[in-house]
Amino acid sequence: MAWLMLRRSLTRRRSRVLIAVLAVAIGSTTIFALALLAIDIPRHMSQDMRSLGANLIVLPADGSPALSASTVEEIKGVLTDSEVVSVVCFRYANVRLNQQPFLAAGTDLAQAQKAKGYWDVEGDWPDQPGQVLIGRDVASLIGLAPGDTVTVTLTQAVTAADPTDPSDQTDPDGQAPEPPAERSARLSVRGILTTGGNEDGFVVMDLSDLERLTLSFDLVDIVELSIDRDSASLAELAQTIDRQVDQVSAAPVRRLAHSEADVLAMLRSLLALVAVIVLALTLIGVATTMMAVVTERRAEIALRKALGADQRSIAWEFQCEAMVLGLVGGLLGAGLGFGLAQAISQSVFQRGVAFSGWLAAVTVAASVLIAYLASRQPVRRATLVDPALVLREE
Amino acid sequence: MSQSPAPAADQPILEFVEVSKVYGQLHALDRVSLAVPEGEWLSIVGPSGSGKTTLVNIVGCLDRPTSGQVRLGGRDIAGLNPTGLTEIRRTMVGLIFQKFHLIGHLTALENVMVAQYYHSMPDQAEALAALDRVGLAQRANHLPSQLSGGEQQRVCIARALINDPRLILADEPTGNLDAANEAIVLELFHQLHAEGATLIVVTHDSTVAGQGDREVTLEHGRLVRDIAHRDAPAASDGGNR
Repeated sequence: MAWLMLRRSLTRRRSRVLIAVLAVAIGSTTIFALALLAIDIPRHMSQDMRSLGANLIVLPADGSPALSASTVEEIKGVLTDSEVVSVVCFRYANVRLNQQPFLAAGTDLAQAQKAKGYWDVEGDWPDQPGQVLIGRDVASLIGLAPGDTVTVTLTQAVTAADPTDPSDQTDPDGQAPEPPAERSARLSVRGILTTGGNEDGFVVMDLSDLERLTLSFDLVDIVELSIDRDSASLAELAQTIDRQVDQVSAAPVRRLAHSEADVLAMLRSLLALVAVIVLALTLIGVATTMMAVVTERRAEIALRKALGADQRSIAWEFQCEAMVLGLVGGLLGAGLGFGLAQAISQSVFQRGVAFSGWLAAVTVAASVLIAYLASRQPVRRATLVDPALVLREE
Repeated sequence: MSQSPAPAADQPILEFVEVSKVYGQLHALDRVSLAVPEGEWLSIVGPSGSGKTTLVNIVGCLDRPTSGQVRLGGRDIAGLNPTGLTEIRRTMVGLIFQKFHLIGHLTALENVMVAQYYHSMPDQAEALAALDRVGLAQRANHLPSQLSGGEQQRVCIARALINDPRLILADEPTGNLDAANEAIVLELFHQLHAEGATLIVVTHDSTVAGQGDREVTLEHGRLVRDIAHRDAPAASDGGNR
């Protein structure tokens, strides 16, 4: 009979039930979505932050020559495919443009475009050899613009120890300095590069163009890796590379790794704070709704008492009803919350989120608990109602 | 249906001895003494504020007197706690209300079964038989909102009868009914009375009051008149002692 009364109350008081279920569902939707995002966002953020630049740099060890192609392959062999976001190698050489010294960087420009999301290029990225990106400072000094042609003359290749120092005259093989060469190449300016960093003073060209200019092949001065790991395991990876690959020195870019960790920690804290606030608001909202629902049924409670029901059985019946409402609201909220998290993730990160079964179960359980707690006080108060109320026609 | 134990033959089913109920300075009941023999139909009349509702609440175990003794079925209920009063009410009293007080989301049949549920075990066949007794078997699966006022009151009567109470307490049972439905309800009361039920009916309606074996009048909390309309199963000593 208790089940029948519960079923009838739920199925024949639809508008009231709908309001109570919605109150629970809105809260559980928000909590589920926030929790799912709190789990998923750090993963997305970590991936997105990888596009802000390398977080692991590999250089030749002190006194070692430039890194050969086979050494680069060895380094890649230490990594697992799933964690590698990008690998970009650079070769540096001192060059002159209009008789003024600059540093040239040769790289796989297609890889660089993918890895250097923060590089701002006015014009277009080079899409074939013979085209260059000119750093903003260089372009400004010489007066270059996209579409211009420029003659790049080799002065000397530099080591990776200090690629920004044009005075460093050690060649990539660590050999004694050679007399300045006068090899030149005419290259087409495809875009003007602005990074806010050293690259603004660089001439960035395809590695094959630089190799033809320097006549040194299959050598790089630096390998920039973007790895999807936290700062602690990134340090471990650097040590592993140092151990397993000869004559290299790997080091995390500490500033980036720590900034990333700080941002993610702040984001997690923010989401947790918002979730707690939403939880509190949900509790208040559900409590208010349950209070209204129970208060509306005071006459029914008084009647049940007049018919012989004791307080405990009435409280049990009403709290069971509240928990069923919590269950339905929680299930609805888990479904809607997944949709909300999916929509937010698609809109902000352009990626979906994976449904979490255990999180859905926790959300439903929390909804049932919230409905129980929220109804406890109003039900307790309602069961204290004087059964004579029905006789007094109040 | 369950049956409460019968009292000793010479013992009234209900007895008030110098019962008072005081709210602050207000004496809602003032030293009222009254005995109701088993099987009697007692009408209680009086103007508003005379203490009728207070008396009904005490008889219905919904309230306790400030002083005096109330014996229901031979048991003094004046000093019982709410749990004890609930137990007595559940087993001995059938309540009929002016505004019916049916649970809106339950059918007529389910409303009757609720009283069974709180008393013992719900039995659909018995509940249906109770509805049949009040002429509503065909309306058993209708919600209160689908029933007329008279039909709702008959459901309320069926609910009051379902546990075979020893005392049926009706508070203005015809107050919300038209003449036709009033006649139907009074006919039901006559049937119950003929079957030996004890009825206490509070009413403003002199026609309804005149149907009982005896009519007592309350004024300012005092029992001022006690008129016998016809022979009752047992005599009352009535009036304030």
